[in-house]
Amino acid sequence: MLIGFTRSFPPLEMLSPEEMESIHRGALYVLEKTGMEIGHPAARQQLADAGCSVDVETERVRFPAWLVEDCLRKVPTHFRLRARNPEQDLMVGGDTLYFMQGMGMQYLDLETWETRPATGAEHRDAMIVADALPNVHLAEAWEIYTDRRGIPPVMVMLENLANGIRYSSKVQVAGNIQDTEIFAIMMAQAAGIDLFPEIEHASPLTIHAGGVNAAYRYMDAAMPICPALGVAMGAAGPATIAGSLVLQVAETMGWAVLTQTYRPGAPIAIHHGAGALDMRTGIDIWGGPAVSVSTAMMNQILRRYGIPIWSNAGFASDSKKIDFQAGFEKSTGALMAALSGGHLQLFQGGSSTELLFSPELMVMDDDVAGWIGRVLQGAQITEETLAVDVINEVGPIPGHYLGHAHTREFWNKEDYFMAVADHEPYSAWLTTGKKDMLSRATEKVAEILASHKPMPLSDAEQEGVNGALNEARDHYRSKGAISDADWSNYMNELKLEENDRLATA
Amino acid sequence: MSERTLTDLAKAVQEYDGDQAALLAQQALDEGTEPVAILDALTACIREVGDAFGAGDLFLPELVGAADAMESAMPIVVAALKAEGTTRTSAGKVVAGTVAGDIHNIGKSIFCTLLTADGFEVIDLGIDVGVDKFIATVKEEEPDVVAMSALLTITAQEQQNVIAALESAGMRDDLKVIVGGGAISQRFAESIGADGYSPTAPGGVTLVREMLG
Repeated sequence: MLIGFTRSFPPLEMLSPEEMESIHRGALYVLEKTGMEIGHPAARQQLADAGCSVDVETERVRFPAWLVEDCLRKVPTHFRLRARNPEQDLMVGGDTLYFMQGMGMQYLDLETWETRPATGAEHRDAMIVADALPNVHLAEAWEIYTDRRGIPPVMVMLENLANGIRYSSKVQVAGNIQDTEIFAIMMAQAAGIDLFPEIEHASPLTIHAGGVNAAYRYMDAAMPICPALGVAMGAAGPATIAGSLVLQVAETMGWAVLTQTYRPGAPIAIHHGAGALDMRTGIDIWGGPAVSVSTAMMNQILRRYGIPIWSNAGFASDSKKIDFQAGFEKSTGALMAALSGGHLQLFQGGSSTELLFSPELMVMDDDVAGWIGRVLQGAQITEETLAVDVINEVGPIPGHYLGHAHTREFWNKEDYFMAVADHEPYSAWLTTGKKDMLSRATEKVAEILASHKPMPLSDAEQEGVNGALNEARDHYRSKGAISDADWSNYMNELKLEENDRLATA
Repeated sequence: MSERTLTDLAKAVQEYDGDQAALLAQQALDEGTEPVAILDALTACIREVGDAFGAGDLFLPELVGAADAMESAMPIVVAALKAEGTTRTSAGKVVAGTVAGDIHNIGKSIFCTLLTADGFEVIDLGIDVGVDKFIATVKEEEPDVVAMSALLTITAQEQQNVIAALESAGMRDDLKVIVGGGAISQRFAESIGADGYSPTAPGGVTLVREMLG
């Protein structure tokens, strides 16, 4: 039985068919007239061979509409992702939504509300909590704590991913920085899993060589890829939602052609969601309504193309604290993405744009994910659930339903029971320490860490993952990407992590 | 010399009309206005726009529009200054770029625009700028400040590589190095030997102003 939340009603559609057609035509015209800059000679040649017009000097590739439409049709509507635990395998696409635990560079200190680089133990613990939470379907190990104490920046993706593979048996997301995907693929193959890699893209209308190389390497390893479009309205994209949709659709089409002419049928998803730029500070606003509207509309368009969707709305709030703003911005955004047919939702634990990640927030957000998942499932309308006979049988007061067999059968199927949201009676709340959701979540994190044991890697798998890591460490050191001083800090930090692991075990 | 032309030039900049600004700069020169006077007029005008942005009366689209219009007129004025053997005076010269491996443009562009609006001469090297490019530009332009941006933690290390290269080339002591971007902190800036750090573009301008005093 596949995990995930399956929507039982038609998705929210904010665009009329005519409006969708205007956006589609606009994007085709942009790709044919202006095209994209693609900084990868072999990719340009491949696109020229497929029928694009290529200007060698400006690295500009212009795409004919027939080729775009042909390639859009070739993109698979679904793809499978293998997890370490087969019960956690995913089938992305259709009407099913999966939640991924969120991203955030630094650890949030709940005493001061300030952030700082995370230790290896904190990263490991975050992965264990993510592994235990019922509504985290993909573990996004690499994008939490990208600021790890003592870890050289070039090694962060790989060290984080290795922790993800060790301490979670769920599907892993990966990235690409300075060719690190080569080692990420080695690790995944050693553990017998697929990665779901997010590929770097530069809006507007630009793909750099690093992104193409990573896309090719992951596709060669038969893994799906997910280009991340980075349109900020008014900066890297038009200030209007409609214009940002045209741009994002054009970029989607560009990626469809690039991938489908490289490997027809290669599975891709598109990570999108245009936020408005705050014109006073120059910072993206992720919690505003614009990103929700843009996400819902783009989801509708991607569904028309049958391209699986990673939607952005709700992935983070702009609040620096775990507070009302964080709660409403994340929840409303994620709900809009879910209702409009998003397939993958970056969600639990990240906030303050991309700055912080908190295991406590992850536990709280997991309640929201369960809530949204329950909403997507709607209500079953059958003869039995309609309960006409039961209503007739119980009749008016003093009749009631508490003792009825129908209630015993259905009461715990119709609502979602949250783990840490406060639903205590007031009188009980007064006597149990007046706990709010955050204090309950803090207790829950401690409880999970004391009791949850992730599925262990076999010795061979462990060896394969460690071998790939060691190879990467040597490679980047010999390339000069890690200085001698950094190397010594790095080795010390790994020793501390190992000591902590042994002490905890 | 026509005061009227300079007034019209300022108006063109404030109406974001680069073509008109370039025409009026040329017209002012043709009328015999000193290049320095034209430069002063442009600087005063953009500073006014910058102040209005600082006060919250104008927003980034207006600020960037006005700075772009000013930039359209600048080559004409700079060429005239050069022809008469005068060098451009400014509050200071800044070389800025997003480091290698990082393709984020917006924060750095805003920083450059704000600096221009504050009267600085800015050389924007763009994105994904390698160590060699930074070094070559510093050699050629002799700036007062090198400003590097990195949005990704993973590329922040490149800032350190540039500082190390400036040191090896013997150029580190002659200039200030500042770093910025979402991925880094004061702590990181200190650890790589930068002279200053700002997480935001407006903060970066304040930093440059304070440094060059």
